[in-house]
Amino acid sequence: MHATSTRKQQYIGDPLSQQPALDRARLEEIFNDIQSDARYDHELNGCLNCGICTATCPAAHYYDFSPREIVQLLWTENLEGIYDAMQEKIWACAQCYTCAARCPFRNSPGSLIMIMREVAIKHGFQSAKDVLRPFSRVMLKLISTGNQLSPDMITADHFADWGPNISKVDAPLKLLRAAIPMPTLNTMKTAWEVNLKTSIELYTIWEMTGVLKQLETIDENLFDVISDIMDERREDYEDWCESQGDNETRRAAPPEETA
Amino acid sequence: MKDTSDTAGAHFTGHGPEWKDAKLSPLQARAATAWVEAKIDRATLTGKDRVEDVRDLMWQLEKDGEIVVHRIRDEHQPVETKTLYGWTKRIPTEQLWHHKSCGQCGNIPGYPTSLLWLMNQLGTRYLDETDQTSCTAWNYHGSGIGNLESLACVFLRNFHQAYVSARSQGLPDGYYYPLVHCGTSFGNYKEVRAFLLRSAQLREKVKKVLAKLGRLVDGKLLIPEEVVHYSEWLHVMRNRIRAIQTVDVTELRAVIHPACHVYKMVPEDAIYDDEVLDGNRVAVSTSVVQALGAKVIDYSTWYDCCGFGFRHIISEREFTRSFAMDRKVTVAVEEAHADVMIGHDTGCITTLDKNQWIGKAAGKNAEIPIVADCQFAALACGAHPYKIAQLHWHASPVEKLLAQMGIDWERAKADFEAYLEAVRDGRGEHLYDPRRAVTSGPGAPKLVTA
Repeated sequence: MHATSTRKQQYIGDPLSQQPALDRARLEEIFNDIQSDARYDHELNGCLNCGICTATCPAAHYYDFSPREIVQLLWTENLEGIYDAMQEKIWACAQCYTCAARCPFRNSPGSLIMIMREVAIKHGFQSAKDVLRPFSRVMLKLISTGNQLSPDMITADHFADWGPNISKVDAPLKLLRAAIPMPTLNTMKTAWEVNLKTSIELYTIWEMTGVLKQLETIDENLFDVISDIMDERREDYEDWCESQGDNETRRAAPPEETA
Repeated sequence: MKDTSDTAGAHFTGHGPEWKDAKLSPLQARAATAWVEAKIDRATLTGKDRVEDVRDLMWQLEKDGEIVVHRIRDEHQPVETKTLYGWTKRIPTEQLWHHKSCGQCGNIPGYPTSLLWLMNQLGTRYLDETDQTSCTAWNYHGSGIGNLESLACVFLRNFHQAYVSARSQGLPDGYYYPLVHCGTSFGNYKEVRAFLLRSAQLREKVKKVLAKLGRLVDGKLLIPEEVVHYSEWLHVMRNRIRAIQTVDVTELRAVIHPACHVYKMVPEDAIYDDEVLDGNRVAVSTSVVQALGAKVIDYSTWYDCCGFGFRHIISEREFTRSFAMDRKVTVAVEEAHADVMIGHDTGCITTLDKNQWIGKAAGKNAEIPIVADCQFAALACGAHPYKIAQLHWHASPVEKLLAQMGIDWERAKADFEAYLEAVRDGRGEHLYDPRRAVTSGPGAPKLVTA
C-alpha cells in the first residue's frame, strides 16, 4: 500500500459527512497552542518508536490508545492526526506516567496528553464537553471550596457498584464523620474543613490563571453557578472582615506584597 | 512550526499504512537495538548523567536573590536517604505540617488518622489546620481544567501557609515543614517545583498572583528545599516504629502496590535503598512492612498502576474495575498468595479496596484486604482498628487481616459502636487540641500557645 500522507490536504473530515470541514489554519492554530506550552520541549525529546510506553500503558490494554502514537503524531507534526486524537484518544490516558518513567528519551506522553487536553478545552471541542459532563460535580466542589471530595457523596446511592460495605458500621454518616479523631475531618460537605479565607484566596488563583475562563468555555451553566457561589462567599468573607478589628483582619488576609 | 511541505508522504505517523522501512543495514540495526537495550530495563531509570538535579537550580536562584528556600533545619531532625540516582534527600521527622489529601480524608479517613496516631506515639510535633486546599491535581489530571500556572499557585500558596502557620502559636516562620499525604499531590508538586525553577517566565507570572495573596516572603517566591511524602517519613522512622510494635505480623504475606505518582513522576526523587529488595524497587512502604516483620512478596504486576485513572474512577469505572481486578487484586491473590495488599496513595487504596465487590459480577472473585502502610503500621503498634484505623470505611475483607494479626475485630467493632454514643453526646476524642486547627480567618481563636 502506498503512503497516504494527508499533509497536503486543505481540509480534514469525511467527504460524505454533513459535518463542516476543518481548514488547515485552524489545525495549525491548535497545534501552535500545544507546541507553545512551556512544558512541550521538556516533555518531547525524540522518539525511536521502541513502543515501551505502549507496552506498559494500562489504557492501551483496554482502549484503542497508544502513547507511542500520540508521541509520533506530535513529533512528526501530523496536524490532522493530532486533531483526530484530541477528539477521543487523549481521554483514554490514565495519567499514571508509567510511559514517562520508562521512555529512553525521557519523553512524557502523559504530560503531552495533558497539554492536548488543555488545548481541547481552550478550543471548546464538543468531545471535551461530552467527556467532562460527569465531572461537573467534582469541579463545582473543587472550584467553589478548594476541596475535591464530599463525604456526603459516599453513600450506597451514589456508589452502588461499591457494594453494601460503604461503611461496615451501621450509623448515620454524620455521626461516623464526627467519630473521626481529626477535628478537621468532622465534616460532611468537604473532605476537611477548608477555611473561608482559604477558599477566597483560591478564587483569586482561579481568576488570575485563567481557570474560570476554561470552565466557562466548557460549561457555561456550571460557570454561572460557581460564579454565584464565589460572589456569595466573598460577601460572607467581607462581612466577617468588617466585623473584626484591624489585628484580626491582618491575620486573616496578609497585605498585598509587591512582586 | 516546521515547514513540512516538501516532506509530504515521507513522514512516519506511526499508525499503519504510512509506515516506511528505515532501510537500516544489519550493522546499523544492531547498533540501534544495542542503544535501546542499553537504555531500557533498570538502566532506563538510572541514566543520571542525563538528568539535572533541580535543587542545584534552586540554590543558585536563592543565591541570586530570586527566591527564598524553606529549609529543612536541624530542629526538623532530618534523616538522610538516597534517591534512585544515589542523590541525597533529607527527610524531616519533626515539626511537620500535614498537607492532607482530599481522597484520603473523604474516602478512607483512617489513613491520615493512623499517621497522626503514630506521630502521637512517637512524640512528633505537628500541625493539622483548615488553611489548606487540595492540590487540585486530581481534578487537573482527570479533566484538564487547570493549568501549570494554577497548579503552581496552589502549590506555592499551600506551602507558604505551612511556612507561616506557626505564627498562630507564637512560633517563628519555617517552624513547621510540610508533609504531603497524597501521592498525586507529591508528584504534582515536585513536577511543578521543577518547572518553577527552570522557567523565569513561569515564576514571573505566578509571582503576581502570590503577591496579590500576600504570599511572598520578602517579596520573593518561597520554594521548599524538598517535597516530602508521608511514606518517606514512615520509611526513615521504621525502626522507631518497630520499637513500639505490639502485634506480631511475621506470618503475614504482604504485597506492596507502589503509587505511580510517588515514584514514576519525577522518578529521580524517589527513594531507593540497597537493603530494601536489593534496591530494585522503590523503598517506601516495603521498608516499613519488612521492618515490622511481615514478608513482602514480589509479583509480576508490581509495576502496574491501580486503574484509578483520575477521570476513569469518576466517569469510566469499567476500566478502573477491570484493571484493578485483572492486573492487581487477582494477581496478588492467585500468584503471590498474599494476605494483604499495602499501598501509599489515595486513589490506589480507594480503587483497589472498593472495586472487589463489583468484580464478582464478572466472575472475578479474588478478595484481599487493602490498607495503607501507615494503617498497617498503626495496627501493628496497637492502634484501635475502628477508632483510629477507621477500617469500617474499607469495603475489602479487612476483618480477615485483623484475625490473622490476632486482633479480636468483633470486640473492637462493638467497642467502637458503643463509643459512637459518646460521640453523639459530644464526648468524642481527638488526636490533638481542636483549637489548634484554625490558625486564621473565620473561626480562629485568639493566639493559642503551643
